[in-house]
Amino acid sequence: MDQNKQGEAAEGGNIGHPAHGKNQEEQSNPMIAPTNPPKKKSLEEQLNDFWAAQREEAKMTTNFKTHSLPLSRIKKIIKTDKDVKMISAETPVVFAKACEMFIKELTIRAWANTEARKGKILSQRDLVSAISQTASFDFLDDIMPKDAGLPRTSIASTENAYLNMPPQQNVAGLPYDAPTMAFPNLNHHAPN
Amino acid sequence: MADSDNDSGGAHNAGKGSEMSPREQDRFLPIANVSRIMKKALPANAKISKDAKETVQECVSEFISFITGEASDKCQREKRKTINGDDLLWAMTTLGFEDYVEPLKGYLQRFREMEGEKTVAARDKDAPPPTNATNSAYESPSYAAAPGGIMMHQGHVYGSAGFHQVAGGAIKGGPVYPGPGSNAGRPR
Repeated sequence: MDQNKQGEAAEGGNIGHPAHGKNQEEQSNPMIAPTNPPKKKSLEEQLNDFWAAQREEAKMTTNFKTHSLPLSRIKKIIKTDKDVKMISAETPVVFAKACEMFIKELTIRAWANTEARKGKILSQRDLVSAISQTASFDFLDDIMPKDAGLPRTSIASTENAYLNMPPQQNVAGLPYDAPTMAFPNLNHHAPN
Repeated sequence: MADSDNDSGGAHNAGKGSEMSPREQDRFLPIANVSRIMKKALPANAKISKDAKETVQECVSEFISFITGEASDKCQREKRKTINGDDLLWAMTTLGFEDYVEPLKGYLQRFREMEGEKTVAARDKDAPPPTNATNSAYESPSYAAAPGGIMMHQGHVYGSAGFHQVAGGAIKGGPVYPGPGSNAGRPR
């Protein structure tokens, strides 16, 4: 059902394939753009097609049990903010959809950079470029590795990245200060 | 709170577990899900390096925190305790993600309609007790609010610890949520 390669993804995830396949088919047309020479206009056209597809897809959703992203994990990430006290049930659901769109927009923009440099593999530097070129992605600047050095990716790993998959990724240190995982204090509220 | 509700299985999580602690793993969405979504946005023959997938994992967590922070600030200014979907849409508009709002409005409206249908169905039988399963927790709403428009309503409410459900009524015309017996806001 899925047109894309799912060798890695097939072993994980909690998404139902039938519903997923349906979404896949509906979105495949605008997403599989012909390989045009990378132009600013071309990227804008891709993104316009992307947003049009998103607007249509959102209206057709009938199964909210099947999410492309696990709600429990989204909830944990939301809760890393200590100021957040309570969230409604719809909040992780909205984020599941929003994050899916965010990942796709970021990927489309990064791939334009991959094509611009005649690359074959979307790599971290394509993402770094896409983020630096997009105003709404400014909030990501702080967590992006600097050009001088890649804290999380050694030079060897970077080179391996162009040989498809690196053998082992060194995740010793993350490029941004991790928030403390202490959850807020108990908020007692009586059930109705 | 350990990984008891980690609902992403498979080899990827096993491999991921060896690279970072369970706590650290909770800060990112599963790389398999992220990878699958990335591939849907690319030509069929495109390849993605692992460092790119991991970078996107970090970007998504940052995106969630960015939007949540803005929505949370708005709730605090308005003396509300619960972040809801409309707060997120407002935050996205404020933070430069206008394109996201229109699809999400349709999505949220559909979700509320579905929840409304479940509410009617739920009345025919006792609401099942809440469990740790992610989806089932969202399947037993017990609020009496009718969905519609951009009405603020409070269905399931999740505290910062445990897994309690609190159902509140809808308040038309005002952003106040007077929950009977609800907690007095405890600052930290």
